[in-house]
Amino acid sequence: MLTEENKLRIRISQEEEQRAHFYLLLSRLLGAVADEQLFDVIQNLEIDNSEIGKALGQLKSAAKCTSVKTAAEEYDELFIGVTQGELIPFKSYYLTGYLNEKPLAELRDDMEKLGIAKSDLVAEPDDHIAFLLEMMHGLIVGSFGDPLSVVEQNNFFEKHIFCWAPKFFEDLEKADAANFFIPVGRIGKLFMEVEGEAFLIAA
Amino acid sequence: MSVKKSKSPSRRDFIKTAGLGVGVAAVASGVLSAGDAEATPLLSTDKATDYRETEHIKKYYESAQF
Repeated sequence: MLTEENKLRIRISQEEEQRAHFYLLLSRLLGAVADEQLFDVIQNLEIDNSEIGKALGQLKSAAKCTSVKTAAEEYDELFIGVTQGELIPFKSYYLTGYLNEKPLAELRDDMEKLGIAKSDLVAEPDDHIAFLLEMMHGLIVGSFGDPLSVVEQNNFFEKHIFCWAPKFFEDLEKADAANFFIPVGRIGKLFMEVEGEAFLIAA
Repeated sequence: MSVKKSKSPSRRDFIKTAGLGVGVAAVASGVLSAGDAEATPLLSTDKATDYRETEHIKKYYESAQF
């Protein structure tokens, strides 16, 4: 029987942690308007010469020459709008053309199995891209229980994210209202490719 | 006792060279929590965003009526 003292502690590698933080960063960019603090974070990101690094460089430049207010207005146009934004960033919508369909129900089933709950304070359904990205972060680091194995993470990723998010990020990059968010779309698309490839390498 | 996940050097190398190590830790409080634990809202509690949030909820319900 496991007691608190001899309970297995699962630690994750630094690289897996980096993935998790990346999910959280993207989640934050897509879940709400960016504030000064997030702009600050963006401008201090450490980047390299990888494709993602270059796209992050573009985001850093965008943060330099866009005001928080302008980025917020762009966020509004892209995702909020009058009745809806230019984009509808929900898994159900991308897979069926409608909100609140089976893809959402399937996600909710898995959320329950994984012990993930959404705050009642937020009205959006659970399959918003920002929530899904945040879920991945939690599943990697163990916010809802033990960290998931890479195989389990992959199952979740393929079932709820990989099947639609690359297309969403493409749409974001090409959206009429996008300016600051062009590199966000590019980063997201590249990150999805990296994740897909990384999952193919046995942990 | 600790068990390390993801020991494969090739997977870790791949992630390393993919450019994901950007030096950012926690940047957001999230809406998600484990089961009954209290979650903090993803959207900021700043007044301006509160108004936006209310509008968004309204629009969501409006657009959901099809």
